[in-house]
Amino acid sequence: MRVVIAEDQVLLREGLGRLFVDGGHEVVASLGDADRLVATVTGHRPDLVLVDVRLPPTFTDEGVRAAKEIKEIHPDVGVLVLSQHVETTHVVSLVPLAGFGYLLKDRVLEVGEFLASAERVAQGGSALDRQIVARLVSPGGGSDPLGELTERERDVLELMAEGLTNAAIARRLYLSARTVETHVRHLLMKLDIPEGEDGHRRVLAVLAHLSATQSQY
Amino acid sequence: MKGLQLKAIPVTLFGLTLAITVAAVALSLGLEPLYDTLLYALLGLTLGAAGAVVASQHPRNRIGWMFLGLAILNVLADLAQGWGLRAAEQGWPGGAAGDWIQTWSWMPTGLGWVLIFLLFPDGRLISRRWRFVPWCAALALVLGVPGRSLSPDRDPEFASGSNPLAVEALPTDALMAVGMTLHLVAALGAVVALVVRLRRSHGVERQQLKWFALAATIAVVVLSLSFALWDHSALIRVLAALSLTSLPIAACVAILRYRLYDIDVVISRTLVYGALTVALAAAFGATTLVLGAALGSGSAWTTAAATLVVATAFRPLRARLQDAVDRRFNRARHAALERIAGFLEDLRAGRAAPERIEELLRDILADPRLELRFFLPESEVYVDANGRAATDPPGDGRERTAIGRAGAPLAMVIHGPAGEGGPEGLPQVVEAAGLAIEIARLRVDLRRHLDEVKASRARLVAAGDEERRRIERDLHDGAQQRLVSIGLALRHAQHELNGASPSAGHALEGAVAEIAVAIEELRELARGVRPAQLDAGLAPALRELAGRAPLRVEVAATAERFPHGVEAAAYFVASEGLTNAIKHARASRVVLRAAPGDGRLVVSVADDGVGGARASDGSGLAGLSDRVIAQGGALSIESDPGTGTRLTAELPCGW
Repeated sequence: MRVVIAEDQVLLREGLGRLFVDGGHEVVASLGDADRLVATVTGHRPDLVLVDVRLPPTFTDEGVRAAKEIKEIHPDVGVLVLSQHVETTHVVSLVPLAGFGYLLKDRVLEVGEFLASAERVAQGGSALDRQIVARLVSPGGGSDPLGELTERERDVLELMAEGLTNAAIARRLYLSARTVETHVRHLLMKLDIPEGEDGHRRVLAVLAHLSATQSQY
Repeated sequence: MKGLQLKAIPVTLFGLTLAITVAAVALSLGLEPLYDTLLYALLGLTLGAAGAVVASQHPRNRIGWMFLGLAILNVLADLAQGWGLRAAEQGWPGGAAGDWIQTWSWMPTGLGWVLIFLLFPDGRLISRRWRFVPWCAALALVLGVPGRSLSPDRDPEFASGSNPLAVEALPTDALMAVGMTLHLVAALGAVVALVVRLRRSHGVERQQLKWFALAATIAVVVLSLSFALWDHSALIRVLAALSLTSLPIAACVAILRYRLYDIDVVISRTLVYGALTVALAAAFGATTLVLGAALGSGSAWTTAAATLVVATAFRPLRARLQDAVDRRFNRARHAALERIAGFLEDLRAGRAAPERIEELLRDILADPRLELRFFLPESEVYVDANGRAATDPPGDGRERTAIGRAGAPLAMVIHGPAGEGGPEGLPQVVEAAGLAIEIARLRVDLRRHLDEVKASRARLVAAGDEERRRIERDLHDGAQQRLVSIGLALRHAQHELNGASPSAGHALEGAVAEIAVAIEELRELARGVRPAQLDAGLAPALRELAGRAPLRVEVAATAERFPHGVEAAAYFVASEGLTNAIKHARASRVVLRAAPGDGRLVVSVADDGVGGARASDGSGLAGLSDRVIAQGGALSIESDPGTGTRLTAELPCGW
């Protein structure tokens, strides 16, 4: 996997680079800000871009804006956004895209899981932090379509949203693959999502939509 | 230099008057009643003094010079009279000349009075049409003086018993008749001119004319009475001289504008006490008459009873007369003072706001441009009713009248010029309204202080918010990142070990786990300081808050953005309300709302718990209230037992 890293803090940038190298990947470029990020991505055509939300000069949402631009120009390049804390406002429109991930920065310490998420994103899958998923599926607003789900179905939904495959979900919940499939079928039905190959992303679309409608009061 | 010379002339003329007076008094002393000598000397000196003062202060005003001239004419006549008397007594020569001057000297004096009546207060005629009056008076003098002084009829007025200048051939009677008629016409014209002036005048000139007209009226009344009573009472002769003396004094007060506005009080007092004297005398007379018939005249009881009647009637009668006089002669002022009294009554009863005094003054004084400026003793500035520092550049055509209370400046009235339909009776009205103005001033002062306190509190909260934001940034971007870096370094070390030392690998694993816990703790800490989500807006921040709650929280929040301080206050209201619901209310469901409306942001936290929460229960709610008030908002709690709790904050977002 060829990786581009955009992170303003030198130590962290180097640490992340080493992390990927240790994991057998190649870091083709690392940058301290978002200025030349798109150009670098265009030049290197990496499999994955790792980008911090807060980058110079204002340290607000430079990273997210760069991520959006990259996904627009190169939809096939995986983008993994790292953040210090949970924020849904900036990223909610990116959530349903193929090859997009959003994780809290300290997830990198769980090296195996982090690299798995990164690879998933590089391959067009998704990876959402469980805290962000919790936010997206949390009750809010007047009508809550998620309210009809059983507790188990909700667990499955959250893991789907995190980007796990049915098999991974089954492992995580200590269930059989068949049971997970049944839950998935039921929850898709309840959320009015037609069954298909790309159930995960549809789930994300629904969550993003819910979140967006909440924002509009 | 020129000014000094100009000032020297009136003083010199007065000195001359004084010298002649001394001579005249010395000559006359003992040869006529003492009061005659002294009172006419006093008249001359008063005329001279008034003339000298006015002429030196306002040399361009002819009135002062005319008084000086009149003074000299008067004392010269006195001197002539004294000479005549003394010469006759001592057998000096030339006594007849004094007697002769005495026969006609009152005529030029009369002309002087006519001119003063005609030209007061500015020394100019009302219009050219009135020029006939001085001509008339001058002709009267030209015809009257020979008509009188050359007449054989004057013989009794000479010590010798005959007029040495009598000319039998002259038609002196006819000259005298025409002269006197012209003199009367001129005098009448002068009086009419004064009345016309008085009616047309306003402002300062009106006050000036009132002074002079009052003295003139008294003089006319007393002089008329004196014609009838001259031979019967010495008192009336004294009064006649005194009433004439009062004219230059009144004129002097009027022209120098010293206590000009007191004239209304003086007129009112004169009328009241004049009427009071007449009424009480009548009451005394009537009582004496009635009781005298019953008890026999001369009884001590009668006098005692009459005195008692007068004493008892004095106070109520005076009050009634004062009221009647005010009503009749000062209707506008009377009404104005009554309105102010009514306003003060309303003020006392709490029916009126003291700030309305400005509006009331504007209304009463019929001056729409009138404004009040209150003096703040602490900062020593004048401010308007809203507490803003007054910037009224001078030269806007308005006048400024300072109002004091107990010797300290209280306020300033800015009003139209008094001369042109401006406020008449301003001093009395303002004095009556003093209490209301003082209260309004205190309230303005208080409001200003409160505004300052509010502003500084808002600044403190804003500074606190900014500090929280900085700390939150430092935690997220500093400490937290650094921990992640260290964690990554440890992971790298672990990788490098590659299972070579399982115990070291274990230790590293433990250290990384510790670091992960520390990061999570830092994140929680930063969120408590200030949720980073607030940067994205109130709605995301509230949803984040709801998402972390261990119970069902519905969020209905506007996506609109507000000033930082308002959003922060709203967030902390929601946060504190939610915390209370979780900790104390035993609620199962909470609704967070944030809705804009009417220039405000209304935030509410409603739960379905046990209720019964009070602001004093926890310092959390009290601190919250401070924060909301600092934003100019209000916090309310509805929490009856059993009906859940609803915490509502209304935050103005216009600033």
